[in-house]
Amino acid sequence: MTKVGEVLLLLLLPAFVPHTDGTRYSLPGKPTEIKCRSPEKETFTCWWKPGSDGGLPTTYALYYRKEGSDVVHECPDYHTAGKNSCFFNKNDTVIWVSYNITVVATNALGKTYSDPVDIDVVYIVKPHPPEKLEVTVMKDQGWPFLRVSWEPPRKADTRSGWITLIYELRVKLEEEESEWENHVAGQQKMFNIFSLRSGGTYLIQVRCKPDHGFWSEWSSTSYVKVPECKTSSVWILILVFSAFILLILIWLIHMNSHSLKHCMLPPVPGPKIKGFDKQLLKSGKSDEVFSALVVSDFPPTTSNYEDLLVEYLEVYVPEQQELMVDEGKDHDGCLKSIGSASDSDSGRGSCDSDNLLMDKSGAAKEEQQQQNQEGDQIGTETQGPKEAWEKETMLCANEDVVSPDASSKKVKTWPSVFSPVTPYSPSPLDPHNSLEMHKQNCLSDTQFPPGSPSSDHCIKKALQSSYWEVCFNNNQPYPQTDVHQQLQAHSDRNISAINDGNVPSNLLLPTRMTEYVEVQRLNEENKVLLHPIPSGHSREKACSWVGHRDNYSKVKGVNSDNVLLLQRDVVEEESMEMAGAAESCYTSSIAINTPKPTTCSHIALPVQEERVLAVSGYVDTATMFSLDTYVNEMKPVASKANTV
Amino acid sequence: YILTVSMPLDCKEEPGSLTRCPSISQEKLLDRVIHHAELIYRVSEESCSLFEEMFIPLPLRLQSNQAGFACITKTLPIPSSKSEIEQISDKWLLHSVLMLVQSWIEPLVYLQTTLDRYDNAPEMLVNKTKWVSEKLVSLEQGVVALIKKMLDEGTFTTTYNEQGLFQYDTLPDMLESVMRDYTLLSCFKKDAHKMETFLKLLKCRQADKYNCA
Repeated sequence: MTKVGEVLLLLLLPAFVPHTDGTRYSLPGKPTEIKCRSPEKETFTCWWKPGSDGGLPTTYALYYRKEGSDVVHECPDYHTAGKNSCFFNKNDTVIWVSYNITVVATNALGKTYSDPVDIDVVYIVKPHPPEKLEVTVMKDQGWPFLRVSWEPPRKADTRSGWITLIYELRVKLEEEESEWENHVAGQQKMFNIFSLRSGGTYLIQVRCKPDHGFWSEWSSTSYVKVPECKTSSVWILILVFSAFILLILIWLIHMNSHSLKHCMLPPVPGPKIKGFDKQLLKSGKSDEVFSALVVSDFPPTTSNYEDLLVEYLEVYVPEQQELMVDEGKDHDGCLKSIGSASDSDSGRGSCDSDNLLMDKSGAAKEEQQQQNQEGDQIGTETQGPKEAWEKETMLCANEDVVSPDASSKKVKTWPSVFSPVTPYSPSPLDPHNSLEMHKQNCLSDTQFPPGSPSSDHCIKKALQSSYWEVCFNNNQPYPQTDVHQQLQAHSDRNISAINDGNVPSNLLLPTRMTEYVEVQRLNEENKVLLHPIPSGHSREKACSWVGHRDNYSKVKGVNSDNVLLLQRDVVEEESMEMAGAAESCYTSSIAINTPKPTTCSHIALPVQEERVLAVSGYVDTATMFSLDTYVNEMKPVASKANTV
Repeated sequence: YILTVSMPLDCKEEPGSLTRCPSISQEKLLDRVIHHAELIYRVSEESCSLFEEMFIPLPLRLQSNQAGFACITKTLPIPSSKSEIEQISDKWLLHSVLMLVQSWIEPLVYLQTTLDRYDNAPEMLVNKTKWVSEKLVSLEQGVVALIKKMLDEGTFTTTYNEQGLFQYDTLPDMLESVMRDYTLLSCFKKDAHKMETFLKLLKCRQADKYNCA
């Protein structure tokens, strides 16, 4: 009984004990996660994870069985690799052979077997990390780079080729948000890293892997600091300093911009034409613009005409020729009308030269036409010579004549008065002869003020046609002398020239004169004799072309533009007499005789202009100016300009 | 994945060939042979994985030796530990490689035919197996040339297949058949690794020519 009781107690004791402890014993848990690794393909280690121990001390044992063998071996070494591990050394390691490994947990209650695992050493190689990681900073043409070098893990036998390792490294900046940058280095044990940030600190790690196996762990970190660029700070200082100076300069310039502008870029005077309105130009009304350009007082307005007009110029329109009657009447009428209109003092003398000219031009044309129609004489012949005359129109214009009078510019224009292109044909004159004669009648133009520069007008008058040719001048290449003689010979010409009388009057009118020409008489040939009435001088001569000092009683010539040019001449007594002998005053001759050189520049102008005259009705200023230029050009050719 | 990389071994001296191959250096030849072996191993490893996924249930994996199908080359006298391998000479290394190569030519051909019997064998598996089979032949030729160069031996065409390592039994059981094929692939993978290792060892043994350190 007692024996049974002891057995019962013994049996119950364990039951009681747990009750007092509150724990239960059980078999150990199954070891799991058996993992074996070989670092160099020569040895390997297996680790397991133990299960619960069941409350009792548990021991673990590893058993293995090789492929093709049924012999079970136990782990030779439990301690080298740490707890819960089994280390197989070289002698126990066979490659290309499968191991069947089982871990057994044993405690007081029993054993627990783990699941078996088959491994082949070849496939479980995980080397150690590479060793001796070295990083150095090197320079490549001034730019730094890192040279990383390492050694294979000590135990890996790469030398014999037993194991072939490939390496990998990674780099990172020592900053919070930077990331690793991986580089595969292959089988080499050295690597260069470029594109570094100067002044930064880098972290470098390396690992390796066999050609068939697992990656090793990362090696220990190696730190390296890249040196800073030395020159950068200096250059930055210089840049900042120069920028600062530049700012100051800009500010200074800005402050003095105005004065600098004046200094460096002086204001350019803008062109201003008096009376020129840009706005008008922009508007496109050229008429208005150019009308503004036209100087109001140029050509001389009527107000000034009076000054220019020869007050006492009396030109009688000869009633001689019937042909001319109309013309003359026209002219006369014109004259009269004009004269009355313009000047109250004198009769027809003071004609508005402007109007006069206009009418004259028109009349001239008509006359010419009429003449052509009527006169048989005026036939082709006349026309021929007429044309010739036209071409040969001579303008004797002194520079002075054309050039504006010192007093006024108007003189410039007016002296060249129409040449009466009137078809007036001096009937007395034989048209044929007219050619010869070149009528060169000089009409002295007393209208020219003595003080004014002598103007040598040569007025050519075509006898048969309306051209007058009165030209005389010593210097003129033109047969002045002939003219002179002719003048003397043909006295009638003069007057006829005068006849169209408007011409001389016209000529005379515009000039501002203190002297005037007075028609002495009208000879039976319907010639108007003009003689100056010198102020303060008395002339007894019939033809008192007073050889005044400045005698403008000469008609220099008439150009094709129907401009009567009056020539100033210094007439002396002798010349006067000569002229007087001719019974007509030929101032031109006088002028010729005068020793004083008078510049008479023949100017051959192209015939134009009756047309011009007709249109404008007055002397075309343009032509006048051209005359002027011509005169100027002729200046050197001719004798010197006369200015007395 | 490089399947198409073909590295023909030049100068495969064949008896009776009239054309003389241009000579190739020993180093280059060895390198090419090693490349071949590496490629073969990689392809075989992939094939085995494919087969395992497709046809082998989980519990039976990695237990190729349990089915009773030992590797056909088990009987070959090939060292299996590093210490042993370090001790054998170059000649034996080369001959070992040659033995292995020649042993596997025929089973691989068989493997191609067996794979056709599978209903849903992936085409990639079939292609790889085929490729490996072809490359193995090239490898054999390379090793032979290498032996001739390095060992200065005459060509000998004795194949070790005559030993009849491989049995062409058609097993009635499907599972057994599959297991056998699986074992075949596994073993071949292992042997391919052997070949590669031997050749690399051989390469690094050449003094001052390779920097295997």
